[in-house]
Amino acid sequence: MRRAGGSLGYGGLAALIVICLGLLVLAAANIARLERQMQISATENMTWIFGQTQIEALNLAAALSDGAEDDLIQLRFDLLVSRLNLLRDGPQWRFLQEAGLAEGLMGWRAGLLALDPARGGDRGALAAHVTALSTALRAKASRVMAREWQIQSERLDRLGQMHLLALAAILGALLAGATLAALLIDRERRLVRAELDRARAERLERDLNVERTVSDGYRRLTDLIAHQVRTPLAVIDSAMHRLTRPGKPPTLEVIRAKAEVSRDAVARLVRLTDTALLMARADRGAIAPELARHDLAGIAAMAIEDVQSLRGSQQGGHLRFQASNQPVHAHCDPLLTQEILFNLLTNALLYAAPGGDIEVIPAFVDEAAVCDICDRGPGMTQPERDSAFDNFARGAAHRDLPGSGLGLPLARHLARLQGGDVTLLPREQGGLIARLILPAGVAA
Amino acid sequence: MTVTDRLLRCLLAPAMLVLAATGAMADGPVLRLTGAVNGGLVEITRADLDGMMWHEIATSTTVTDGQPLFRGVLMRDILAHAGADGEVVTAQALNDYVIDIPISDFQDFDVIAALYMDGVALTPRDKGPIWIIYPRDDHGVLADIRYDMRWVWQLVALHVQ
Repeated sequence: MRRAGGSLGYGGLAALIVICLGLLVLAAANIARLERQMQISATENMTWIFGQTQIEALNLAAALSDGAEDDLIQLRFDLLVSRLNLLRDGPQWRFLQEAGLAEGLMGWRAGLLALDPARGGDRGALAAHVTALSTALRAKASRVMAREWQIQSERLDRLGQMHLLALAAILGALLAGATLAALLIDRERRLVRAELDRARAERLERDLNVERTVSDGYRRLTDLIAHQVRTPLAVIDSAMHRLTRPGKPPTLEVIRAKAEVSRDAVARLVRLTDTALLMARADRGAIAPELARHDLAGIAAMAIEDVQSLRGSQQGGHLRFQASNQPVHAHCDPLLTQEILFNLLTNALLYAAPGGDIEVIPAFVDEAAVCDICDRGPGMTQPERDSAFDNFARGAAHRDLPGSGLGLPLARHLARLQGGDVTLLPREQGGLIARLILPAGVAA
Repeated sequence: MTVTDRLLRCLLAPAMLVLAATGAMADGPVLRLTGAVNGGLVEITRADLDGMMWHEIATSTTVTDGQPLFRGVLMRDILAHAGADGEVVTAQALNDYVIDIPISDFQDFDVIAALYMDGVALTPRDKGPIWIIYPRDDHGVLADIRYDMRWVWQLVALHVQ
């Protein structure tokens, strides 16, 4: 239905354009014809030419009656003949024929030439002939004028008609053009409205997706809290329960052991809260890194110290720091960098094989300051590495290990805030390399 | 025979106009230039014209059919021959037809003073002795009544101003 209407609309527009152009061409053709026909041509001056002939006839008649000298009479004779010859020429002769005035004129000329004074023609006979010719010309003169005005009037009528036709064509083209413009404007208006509707629908869709992601995130956060917060709370609760059990009071060793377990659990809770808060700030864009030139090795060493102090008695890999020969200066924010390395190290310890070495190697790679954390764990497949940076992503085999699923995304986010990145690479001898890349710190 | 008669008349004729009118074939002046010319009066004879470069123009005219071939000398050559120095020439014909022609016409276009049409000498009984011919078919602007008026036939005198 709509398509039929649309094609009809296009057909209508095309027809209007054709009409408009056709009318303009018609108008232009008429105006060009007008321009051509508006020229005055000398043949339209027949009244004057005929009048000149009359005058020369009268001049010759006067010269003859005055008894003028032969030469003057000859001149007048020649001039009269030249006028009659002129009337006999193409355009003039056709005019006279069409007006029905040509008849007899050449007879007059022949009679005149027969009396040529240069050939000794009789003056008396010439005078009589010329007088009769004057009378004949006088009778025709008014009809020549009438014919000329008739032709001029008809020509003006034709010009007027052409002019009217051109005017009508222009008005028609104007009308068609106005309709065309109105249709096009209406079409354009509808297109703009459709475009606006589409943009609004897209915005709504986008907003909806954002809302979905956010609500998905909250749901996963709730799951996470339920899981990750519950375990340390259960550990603390169990410890408290053991210490307050009726009967024999616990020994000092037991109290110390339970206190340590509880403190570990609390530390994990605090750490989890810190990460969640930092992630929330990063999401709001509320983190402004203070960038300066710092030694990456020094920051890595502090991060290792942090991890080990928190780790306490837990089992896991063994951190081994490989210092570079030269300091690795990076252009970075030391606190954020330490947080990134802390996250990467925690991950490595969590997933690496127990007792396996974890190497921390600061170096320059491709003119960037880099810190590689290499473990000898099971490693990750390409799809796993690709999805590892999504919020709340947890390795399939590690759902029960403690961790927020926020560590890697947070690390990458903080690295990018400093103009760097975090990537995961397979280690050739098995295991995974987590690489922090930062812009090299140039000495001021 | 007519030519002989005319020659006789020509020699006898006292009137300048008649001289000019019938002198096309004679040694008498065919064209009289007055005004701003050498000595205020220059009479051009057929011999003078024969000494100039002749030109041909085939063009339509408003009073004939077809495109007759005209032969004559350039108007600007005639004016130069007479040492004309002015802006306008007043052309005068045998029948006292008078019209002003800007001299720039003769610079802008190859206007000729034609003495022959289709190889036949122009005579006072036709449009002679001289017919001013514009190259009408070569320049669109010349197909206009304002130029057509300047095609003086039976030309006998030019007054330079």
